[in-house]
Amino acid sequence: METLAALPAALWQGLQGGLILCLEIALVVVPLLFGYELAAAYGIFERPWPRLKPLLARLGLGPGALVPLLAGLFLGLIYGAGILLSLSDEQDLPRQERLALAVFLVTCHAVVEDTAIFMLLGGSALAMLGPRVVLAVGLTAWLARRRKP
Amino acid sequence: MNARLTTPGTPPWRPALQRGLARGRAFVWFLLKTLLPLYLATELLKASGLLAWLASYLAPVMGWWGLPGEAAAALCAGLFINLYAAAAVAAPLGLSWQQVSVLGLILGIAHSLLVETAVVRGLTPSYKALTLLRVGLGLASGWLLAMVII
Repeated sequence: METLAALPAALWQGLQGGLILCLEIALVVVPLLFGYELAAAYGIFERPWPRLKPLLARLGLGPGALVPLLAGLFLGLIYGAGILLSLSDEQDLPRQERLALAVFLVTCHAVVEDTAIFMLLGGSALAMLGPRVVLAVGLTAWLARRRKP
Repeated sequence: MNARLTTPGTPPWRPALQRGLARGRAFVWFLLKTLLPLYLATELLKASGLLAWLASYLAPVMGWWGLPGEAAAALCAGLFINLYAAAAVAAPLGLSWQQVSVLGLILGIAHSLLVETAVVRGLTPSYKALTLLRVGLGLASGWLLAMVII
């Protein structure tokens, strides 16, 4: 019976805590959404970024993979899924490049939101994001190197 | 992404802000729908003692990652639903920053598997292997991180 008495308090605590967490996440993510929309409107994700070309080549990716990579990295796999799929079809990315893109993005996408959510709960950004980037770059580069004898 | 579709006269930021507003509104609604029920359910499970009972069985396994048994619920929420669901379940558990980081790393690599595997399937036929890779990498790197910081 002791537990029954604790339930209303838990309900209240849950409602309060839940609303506060919603507010906190919204305060981080909503400005990001505005930022992404602005960045997209000014074509940031569609620019060729020539300096990144040699880096991409190391990952086994051609220039055509840059747009889906940036979209996936910053907009997330779901949010950017439409872009990702339509662009890799449109640009006729070769099968190998699609695999490289998928390997990179499954380990490392939507990096800003994902990290922010757990930072709100007290997590360390370095500990959560560092290994993901290292894994994504390492795996993709390894795959590219293995393919070229 | 549809910057090219706007009429030449209007500056690009105007429709962008409108889209941002629409996305923001939809996001807040999604957040309330996902997060509130799970947060409430976790508090209730905690208060009723059910969570502790379940956790006692899972504690030995979760211990490999330096996490309490209760964190298994957050892990499942993240793997099968999404990271917002995981946050809703993890928040009431009172985890340390190290534990949150380990959970965040595992789930950062492997999350929303049902939805995202469908997306990856459109990209490559090796989607099943990639999903396994995600779960494996997530658990392995989380374990390593726990060894280092916990």
